[in-house]
Amino acid sequence: MINLQNVSKSYFLGEEEIKAVDDVSLVIKEKEFIGILGSSGSGKSTLMHLIGLLEQPTSGSVVLENKDVSKLSDRELSEIRNKTVGFVFQSFNLINRFTVLENVLLPTKYSKENLNFDPISRADDLLKRFGILERRNFFPNKISGGQQQRVAIARALIMSPKLILADEPTGNLDSKTGDEIIQILKSLNKDFGVTVILVTHEHDIAKKTKRQIYIRDGHIVEKYL
Amino acid sequence: MVKTAIEDFKRNKVRTLLTSLGIMIGVLSVVLLIALGLGLKNYIKQQFESLGANLIIIFPGNISGDEGGGVSNFGAGFAGGASFDEKDLNSLSRINEADYLVPLFMKSSFIEAGTERKFGYVMGTNEQSFKLLNLDLLEGDIFTKGDISARAKKAVLGESLADAIFDNPEDAVGKTIRIAEQRYKVIGVYKKKGDQQQDNAAVVPYKTTYGSLNPDETFFTMYLGTTDETKVDEIKAKAKEILLRRYNKDDFTVTEQTEILSTVNQIFAIVNGVLVAIGSISLVVGGIGIMNIMYATVTERTKEVGIRRAVGATEEDILKQFLTESLLLSLFGGVFGLILASLIVLGVRAFFPASINLLAVIIAFVVSSAIGVFFGVFPARRAAKLPPIEAIRYE
Repeated sequence: MINLQNVSKSYFLGEEEIKAVDDVSLVIKEKEFIGILGSSGSGKSTLMHLIGLLEQPTSGSVVLENKDVSKLSDRELSEIRNKTVGFVFQSFNLINRFTVLENVLLPTKYSKENLNFDPISRADDLLKRFGILERRNFFPNKISGGQQQRVAIARALIMSPKLILADEPTGNLDSKTGDEIIQILKSLNKDFGVTVILVTHEHDIAKKTKRQIYIRDGHIVEKYL
Repeated sequence: MVKTAIEDFKRNKVRTLLTSLGIMIGVLSVVLLIALGLGLKNYIKQQFESLGANLIIIFPGNISGDEGGGVSNFGAGFAGGASFDEKDLNSLSRINEADYLVPLFMKSSFIEAGTERKFGYVMGTNEQSFKLLNLDLLEGDIFTKGDISARAKKAVLGESLADAIFDNPEDAVGKTIRIAEQRYKVIGVYKKKGDQQQDNAAVVPYKTTYGSLNPDETFFTMYLGTTDETKVDEIKAKAKEILLRRYNKDDFTVTEQTEILSTVNQIFAIVNGVLVAIGSISLVVGGIGIMNIMYATVTERTKEVGIRRAVGATEEDILKQFLTESLLLSLFGGVFGLILASLIVLGVRAFFPASINLLAVIIAFVVSSAIGVFFGVFPARRAAKLPPIEAIRYE
């Protein structure tokens, strides 16, 4: 599903070039549940952004579903982000002036094709599955962190993507709520065949995935230290 | 997208209102200036149209402007030049093509009846003037040729004047009025025309004014009229020829009302253009206000732009979102300005024939939309070009 070949991504801090991701090659198959483990600043988030087409590599190629994304236009990239990828962030990234329901519906507004489902009833289904249906008309800052993260997951799922990218999804949650979120991601992979990539710096959380990749200083390494 | 923008405006009522205020004031001033300019034009047109068609006007001075006298002499007759009298009237009466020849002497004066007294105008003219100036009788009759040579002390009153000094305009006929210590018998009342001067005038035989009112026995203006439009140029030429025998070419003007009207229109077009240009400055200032707020909005919503990009919004989607917002802000101001301008125009209509025409409405919409797009496009482009990841991390 995902094939990274010698991918590098560098930034410039003034004159200094910083290689956030350095010559990474990686294959992720469909329906995998994979953990990318690395400490803060290791380049794991950048790697995730490259996979999720939020950033373009400085060199190397990112092939998503047999398409070399470096050759795609903004419109095509946006369409893949819309239809194929769902993001879950550490800080939830909900729009605070929209209600829970409006947040969940947001990706449907950017679909370039006619939807083959009723967005509101699907949103309600998702909210119900995550036990927050009664919060549908609340604003994000009026619900708990765990609930916000569930809203974010519902938003990531509304377009039925094949891939969920979760960047430290438990980072802002207590361990019990964090576990619940991991359980949700796990069941998405197991019950619905969604490919899930979980980025984290916590060993315990990464252990819950089926395969782990360790990253340090922008490189993939054998073992997490 | 429009719905979302409107909901945002509801959340930020004060900001929306203040931002639109600039455009509102701009549109208000431009539309109002156009409306008033148009009103002034209409007013002057009405004044001229109240004189009959195919009217040739002869007055002292020169409005052609070639001798430096310029337009300032127009209509005044005080600015020197010829003083027309009986002799000119006799000479002009030899123009057979003209159906009417009307002299006009005019003076402002108090006009009294019993204890009532009103400031009005005495118009010394002949019996043809009623037809030429389209004065329709409400009551009574007009004076005759015989009354002129007899210097009869008879007067035909304008309806407003008659209404002011008598209980009822219809009752005036047969009563006596006093002008400059002289008594006149009211023989008729003519209907209101909407011309302030004409409606408050006492029309008397011109020879009757000779003496204390008009010691020089001169006229202010002379009119020549014809029912045949094709004869207008010939009559003008003959009138000029006749008057040149007695006066210099700069001492009098022979013109048609259409010529005067076009001169006046030209002047008003220039004045109005300048006023509208000044009004437009406030539109530009309003546009800059919108741009300012839109930049602030883009910064404020940087994170939101990142989120939207992450869930599939294209650069174009983001551009459209912010453009829609600035367009709506501007249109909102434009519509509000237009409504306000309409209310003001409705208010002044009682005194002045101002009117909002389609052009003003179109200008209000087109200009405010154009400003919304023009000043919105820079902030919107900035939002669209934000790198998604940097945007999403923005706090």
